[in-house]
Amino acid sequence: MIANTPDPSAIQAQSLSVYYGDFRALKEVNLSIPQKKVTAIIGPSGCGKSTALRSFNRMNELVPTAHITGEILFMGQNIYASDVDPVEVRRRVGMVFQKPNPFPKSIYENVAWGARLNGFRGGVGHPSMDEWVEQCLHKAALWDEVKDKLHQSGLSLSGGQQQRLCIARAIAVKPEIILMDEPASALDPIATLKIEELMRELAEEYTIIVVTHNMQQAARVSDYTAFFTMDEDRAGILVEYGATNQIFTNPKDSRTEGYITGRYG
Amino acid sequence: MMNPGLTPVFEPSIPQRNRRAAFWRLLFRLSTVVGIVFLFLLLVNIVNQSFGYVAMETRVDPATLAVNGVPLEELEKEDLIDVLQANVSAGKFRQLEREQPLAERSRDEIYALVWEDVVQPDIASTWLLTDSLFRQGAVRAEAAEKYPQAHLVFRSWLNASILQKPQSSEPLNAGVRTAILGSLWTIGITIFVAFPLGVGAAIYLEEYAVDNWVNRLLQTNINNLAGVPSIIYGMLGLAIFVRLLEPITSGAAFSLSDPTTANGRTILSAGLTLALLVLPLIIINAQEAIRAVPNSLRQASYGLGATRWQTIWHHVLPSAIPGILTGAILAISRAIGETAPLVVVGAATYITFDPSGPFSKFTTLPIQIYQWTARPQAEFRNLAAAAILVLLILLLSLNAFAIVLRNRYSKK
Amino acid sequence: MNPHSPREYFDRAQQKLLQRVLILGSMVEEAMREAMQALQQRDFTAARRIYVADQEINEQRYAIEMECITLIATQQPMARDARLLAAMLEIITELERIGDYAKGICKINLLMSEAPVDSTVMFNLKQMSEHGLGMLHRALGAFVSQDIAAARAIPLEDDAVDMLYNQVYRVLLAAMMAVPGSVDRSNHLIWAAHNLERMADRVINICERIVYVYTGEMKELDGSDGLQIEDNHG
Repeated sequence: MIANTPDPSAIQAQSLSVYYGDFRALKEVNLSIPQKKVTAIIGPSGCGKSTALRSFNRMNELVPTAHITGEILFMGQNIYASDVDPVEVRRRVGMVFQKPNPFPKSIYENVAWGARLNGFRGGVGHPSMDEWVEQCLHKAALWDEVKDKLHQSGLSLSGGQQQRLCIARAIAVKPEIILMDEPASALDPIATLKIEELMRELAEEYTIIVVTHNMQQAARVSDYTAFFTMDEDRAGILVEYGATNQIFTNPKDSRTEGYITGRYG
Repeated sequence: MMNPGLTPVFEPSIPQRNRRAAFWRLLFRLSTVVGIVFLFLLLVNIVNQSFGYVAMETRVDPATLAVNGVPLEELEKEDLIDVLQANVSAGKFRQLEREQPLAERSRDEIYALVWEDVVQPDIASTWLLTDSLFRQGAVRAEAAEKYPQAHLVFRSWLNASILQKPQSSEPLNAGVRTAILGSLWTIGITIFVAFPLGVGAAIYLEEYAVDNWVNRLLQTNINNLAGVPSIIYGMLGLAIFVRLLEPITSGAAFSLSDPTTANGRTILSAGLTLALLVLPLIIINAQEAIRAVPNSLRQASYGLGATRWQTIWHHVLPSAIPGILTGAILAISRAIGETAPLVVVGAATYITFDPSGPFSKFTTLPIQIYQWTARPQAEFRNLAAAAILVLLILLLSLNAFAIVLRNRYSKK
Repeated sequence: MNPHSPREYFDRAQQKLLQRVLILGSMVEEAMREAMQALQQRDFTAARRIYVADQEINEQRYAIEMECITLIATQQPMARDARLLAAMLEIITELERIGDYAKGICKINLLMSEAPVDSTVMFNLKQMSEHGLGMLHRALGAFVSQDIAAARAIPLEDDAVDMLYNQVYRVLLAAMMAVPGSVDRSNHLIWAAHNLERMADRVINICERIVYVYTGEMKELDGSDGLQIEDNHG
């Protein structure tokens, strides 16, 4: 099954399989993620949804035993080709993690560090670092809360604020895609809703892929939903992919139905 | 088979459980108390020997040296020179004059010479601090009876002069300056070598090394090395630094060798040996510190497009530095108190001149303490106690410095 | 359903709700049957009783609606669960409306003079009601048994009801033209016929919901439109 959407594709997995040592965590996934939309990946624990997400920016490679087969096409280029540097991939495909993990630095430095790392240059016609930090914090809906304490530690913020700081940090390197790995699972409901609202806003500019096991969250924030589950050999497979309103009101596959109605098919 | 109709019976016996808990709590408290009591006794013992009455005998009674009714301690410089000239042999006087003309010396120096060469104090007996404080009468009686000529004076063995004077066979003139300098030089070299090596190895093992048998073997060996007796390191140091690398450790290779020593028994050898000794300690502690840096921090860094080195330099090391410094503190403490390997490497037990560089002969505080405690004269045991206090103070101040450093880093 | 479902509570709540919808359905069927009988026998006492009893149907409907909303708010139904609860909300509205038609027929009964209804007309009306009630009964059965084929087939029977309606309509129109004094009475009976015709249409809506619940497809199931007259005579 090649899962496709009517929108132009931002990144595309083609018969993607991911292995950890001998164990196949993900099996033959074909998935085309649309540009500037929110795509949610849902599925039971261990179905390889995080693995799938992390293969989009080669974060899987931080696990020494991991390797993949198949391709991931980003702007027509296979990001796993031998001449592609994972560092460059990760600059263009940013990531926000499950637990807010700001650097133990000031709020300002948290945002500026990644930009500086990637050779940020201010100048005529371009924002200065101060302006860019402000802009990113604005986009992450955090500016008003932190503008008077930019030089306090990022760790002094609340959990929800920390996560928005991590989002600001991610967009500061100007990625095209932002991967979010259960970005609100460690937050309280209000902070969660703020993050979800933010994802909606960010989707105007970025392609967002979010892994969540909160189905209501997937239903609320995403335009498209991909449902993964485990095969008999415990490998993750893509079961169904489609518009979120279809997946949540009228899924085609009985496994999807079972999962989203809470009955595990 | 399960019978769902049965109701379980509970016998909480809470008082009994509480009693048992109280017993264990008491046991743990007791062990803490015992440990503290022993530490306290140790400290008391040392302090007890460092201060107390001494019966001071003099060859010449200072009272007889008064000139025109002015007591010795109030005499002018010229009068003191006269006293000196009148009471030492002409040869001794000429020798002093040759070293430095007496007229050019200060009044205090002359006064010191008078004490040393004319009065010639000597300690007949010493008493413990506890006796001096609580059995003052008995001490006085004993002193008056046994040493009728002696003055009974309260002496702090831990004083400025012990820090300023080099080793001497005269207890009143003996000091630990040489030993302190030797210790500082040695520790300096140890830290200079072991810290970067250890941290580097820890970074390699934690951040770069893949999990294969070579690296596992390496890790196991490092862990085992931390438990090897220090004397073994001494043998290793003797074989490698003193013998094998003698041209380098003696400084001969750089034409810097100390004229008083022509072999590798130098500060450099000692420092390198101690560096070997504490290296596993530093590596293991630094590894722990690096391992304690949350992985989420590394992932965040990689996620922004940082390279491995940027991740280590900007995030892992700054977060790990307090832990790494804790390891360094432990290493300093271990190295500064180490005696056995230095004896093997060849620390001099009796040395009266200060080390001038890494290629000098040397002694260290613990060796000097060891040497003093082995002397037959009781006064040297008092000296040793005072030197132990010096060692403790040195250790605590080095630790305090490292702790301040650590706190500054961890605040960032 | 799966006895070890992690949503056993929700499943049971849904089953209970389904039972209540069925009870509401049989209350409505009963009301319509009795209303027709009262019309045939010109039994004013029964008509008045049925007229008042419609209140119970309404109350039952609101209670079910509240329960549905509670389940939606607390259980976050997805997919078929969501469709089921939404369909129930729709079905109870339709049932309540059918109850209103029964009530309307009782009202007509009370408004008309005591003389029996013309036997041909009564026969046709009776046939319409029996046809419609049969459709309703089977539709509710299909709802419980998840019988999609039945739910798809029932609306086809609407044509027969429409035909009967046209027949009654023509007879009563002819009577009005022949005997000017009978206009009031004939008009009332056309209303009754119209209510019965609308009842069948409501059953079609119910069938559409049933198909939606079990297949996810939302489609009109009307056979033919028959005679389209806006009703609001309930």
